Amino acid sequence: MLSGKGLLIFDGGMGSEFERMGLEGDPVELNVTHPEQVRAVHRAYVQAGADVITANSFGLNRIKYRGEYPLERLVRAAVENARSAGREVFFDVGPTGALLAPVGTLTFDEAYEAYAEIARLTSDMVGGYIAETFSDLYELKACVLALKECSDKPVYATVTFDRTGRTLTGSTPEIVALLLEGLGVDALGVNCSLGPAELFPLVQRMLAVTDLPVIVQPNRGLPVWREGRTQYDLSDEEFARWAEKYAQAGVAVLGGCCGTTPETIRRIAHLKGREVPARSVPRVTQVCSATQLVAMDGVRICGERLNPTGKPKLRDALREGNADYLVAEALRQEEAGADLLDLNVGVPGLDEPAVMQRAVLAVQESCALPLQLDSSDAAALEAGARYYNGIPLLNSVNGEEAVMARVFPVAKKYGAVVLGLTMDDGGVPRTARERAVIAQRIIERAAQYGIPRHRVMIDTLVLTASAEQPLVGETLGALSLVRGMGVNTALGVSNVSFGLPARALLNRTFLVMALSHGLNMPILNPLDAEMTGAVRAFDVLANADRGAARYIELYKDMQPAAGAANAAGAARTAEAPPVKNLYESVLRGLAGEAASFAAAELAQHAPLEVVNGTLIPALNEVGALYAQGKLFLPQLISCAEAAKAAFAVVGEKFGKDANVRGKIVLATVKGDVHDIGKNIVKVVAQSHGYTVVDLGKDVAKERVVEAALREKPLVVGLSALMTTTVKSMEETIAALRAAGCTAPIYVGGAVLNAQIARTIGADGYTPDAPSFVAALDALSARRG
Amino acid sequence: MNSSELRRAACAYLGCRGEVPEELFALVDGCMEEARSLAHFRAVAREYTAPLPFLRQEPYAGFLAGCSGYALVAMTLGAEAERRVRALMTLDPARAVVLDACASALVECEADAWEECLGPARTYRFCPGYGGSDVADNAYIFRELDPSRIGMQLLPSGMIAPQKSMAGIVGLGKRAHRTCENCMAAAGCIYKKEGRTCYPEKGC
Repeated sequence: MLSGKGLLIFDGGMGSEFERMGLEGDPVELNVTHPEQVRAVHRAYVQAGADVITANSFGLNRIKYRGEYPLERLVRAAVENARSAGREVFFDVGPTGALLAPVGTLTFDEAYEAYAEIARLTSDMVGGYIAETFSDLYELKACVLALKECSDKPVYATVTFDRTGRTLTGSTPEIVALLLEGLGVDALGVNCSLGPAELFPLVQRMLAVTDLPVIVQPNRGLPVWREGRTQYDLSDEEFARWAEKYAQAGVAVLGGCCGTTPETIRRIAHLKGREVPARSVPRVTQVCSATQLVAMDGVRICGERLNPTGKPKLRDALREGNADYLVAEALRQEEAGADLLDLNVGVPGLDEPAVMQRAVLAVQESCALPLQLDSSDAAALEAGARYYNGIPLLNSVNGEEAVMARVFPVAKKYGAVVLGLTMDDGGVPRTARERAVIAQRIIERAAQYGIPRHRVMIDTLVLTASAEQPLVGETLGALSLVRGMGVNTALGVSNVSFGLPARALLNRTFLVMALSHGLNMPILNPLDAEMTGAVRAFDVLANADRGAARYIELYKDMQPAAGAANAAGAARTAEAPPVKNLYESVLRGLAGEAASFAAAELAQHAPLEVVNGTLIPALNEVGALYAQGKLFLPQLISCAEAAKAAFAVVGEKFGKDANVRGKIVLATVKGDVHDIGKNIVKVVAQSHGYTVVDLGKDVAKERVVEAALREKPLVVGLSALMTTTVKSMEETIAALRAAGCTAPIYVGGAVLNAQIARTIGADGYTPDAPSFVAALDALSARRG
Repeated sequence: MNSSELRRAACAYLGCRGEVPEELFALVDGCMEEARSLAHFRAVAREYTAPLPFLRQEPYAGFLAGCSGYALVAMTLGAEAERRVRALMTLDPARAVVLDACASALVECEADAWEECLGPARTYRFCPGYGGSDVADNAYIFRELDPSRIGMQLLPSGMIAPQKSMAGIVGLGKRAHRTCENCMAAAGCIYKKEGRTCYPEKGC
């Protein structure tokens, strides 16, 4: 409806009108209780000049609305009331009011289902949807996907920003605009939040990155608390002056939010139909997470370590569903300076789409870097792209028609950037020119699927110098050709050195050569400080790191004799006082030293001797000092980490499947999201050599039962923080008993004590991590 | 804000008693800095004169006796610190627990500072769950204030998300300070047994 009609006027706030009429209660229920008054407000907006009427349906979804009326009845009444005004009706879709996991407990799928229900109920009755006042882009993504998948009507989407210029969950105007554009909304923008003056710079930022129609519905100024209620003081004249500025800036749809009235809309109605100025938006290849946007306008490092090929520990972690391992690996790469991370979960025998979905959720919860989803399985790419809270890079397609036909629709639907490999059914062509031909084919085919050039990157493929020495130059030549097409490039650089000695030297040299030929995104190990150092140095010499500011900040303390790898952390090692043995390392909480001393002790003693002769006594002393108040919680944990590092070394001697001291299952029960206590218990238990199966927080009793029966643990440990979730703990215990779980069940948490533990059927209660481990030790000894 | 008081409050949350080693102080200071950089303190409040029905019962009625009115408040530090604590738990758990304690200290401190806008004649913040009150009463506060607009949610379990958030009642027109007697955890409190408090005795 936007094309060719010029600027469109939406209506204004409903709440202030209801308040003026003296109507109280839940505004959506007024659709049924006071339909005439609701219709009167809609009519007033039509008379004021609104082109589009939004139904009085904000927050009408099964999660937010908990009142007495059936949802369907309210939905129908809201639409009928709006339609009675005789204008185009958009259904107003608001947030659920619930926070998505892991901060809250709402899942992406639950949010999706709530919005899908709304779309199914209304699709035949409305002209379109306006999803508005969203402060979490992830929830808005669920909403937009639901509306688009369950209806063919236009979808407008707007968010709220606060004074920091971000949404509550940290997304910038650019991230919001690019992600929504990628999802294929028909218009995007801002509503509510602030007044028109405060929103203006944020809207300008959106206009600068998208050529989609932009919609703005501000509040009538900033709220003022007066006479016991929120009031808005900006005059309608001033609001109208700002509307004029918005129209001149290129906004295509204007309306009002809190505090605006039919009079406000009447003052801006003259803008209706005004030609929306065309704007030229420079297009850059960009990927993002919810909070970080990475533009490929310089060299960007893609961390390669989340890929199980040749990494048995990561493979095991993926098999076991050990998300912590993935997260730690992601964070290490982030700290080492990666700009985005490759995520590959391809392990034979695993359900790759399911694992990809879980891995995306786990990594994005903790790491802010954008992700490159890496799979040859289009279903896995789709699972990742759907649940990814951002714009992913999809790795990859190649010149094969069948592959492009599988992957491009996924990229189009989710607004992803696609990485194309310059190979096809005939393999990797030998010459740069042939590779450029494939690149051209990929770019053209992408365009046919509606994927513009700036959402394509090309990998010109590295072959090993040992086997295909003459072709190294062809890879580089292809980089230049592809860059000449206005497309960004990527390479997995370390492949070049395979089969040759001193690989690091070749890798580093090749990296610099490739950067000189126009490589934008080297895929490499960011923990290799020589490689990241080469990129940082290149940025200085290529005049990208202006004034060498970043370079100086990173390397100002580097000693002339030391390599880049030694620059960081040099100060720390210099200050660390020496420790003499494993026992002392554990007591002082020094993980690196503990691992080294453990290895040294293993050269002379049997693994069990190291455990029972040194590690356990050291941990016992740690526990005693903690009990006496001579060691505090952070120190207890550092000691535990040191012991854990030693146990890891000892564990290798026992063999891969060694279960040194027994297994325990830990969970924070359903409904409870506070898990720091459980996590402390986990670290301390692991430090004593126990294998921990950590089910996480807000865990349904069925999952606890399933894990207990599968793992046959020494103990099941449950935690709950509040009286309200102790009930959930009791139900979990009952479910465990009913399922025939014979493992003792131990409980802990702030509101528990031994008596409550007995009452809810637990076998034991421990007040803190050391006492839990003491109980484990006793059980373990009894078991022999 | 006084940083030494904040540090003391964070150390108290970590259960530190007696002499705290210098290196732990350094860790706390570093984490406090990180907590500040991650904090997005937001608050909503509303003032009332007539008591809402749930406030006519004890212990609220006693708490508000002598007040000319009261404010319902809901405040949060946002979810960033919580997210970082979760991430650090996999990489550096000692730092994670210290950051968690720092964020707890910081939200209390920010909340106390924010409440100054309610005027000097006010009580401390009484949160449902204190002094024998029911934590489920948070539902009344959420219904009144709708703090979802500042990113807070009351979970079905009665917990508030994000974790570093609080909802409560501040009496107006009367001065009253926090004491251990109105604390929900007073019965088993290790600080109380040692004659100390878990929070800074003066504001920060």
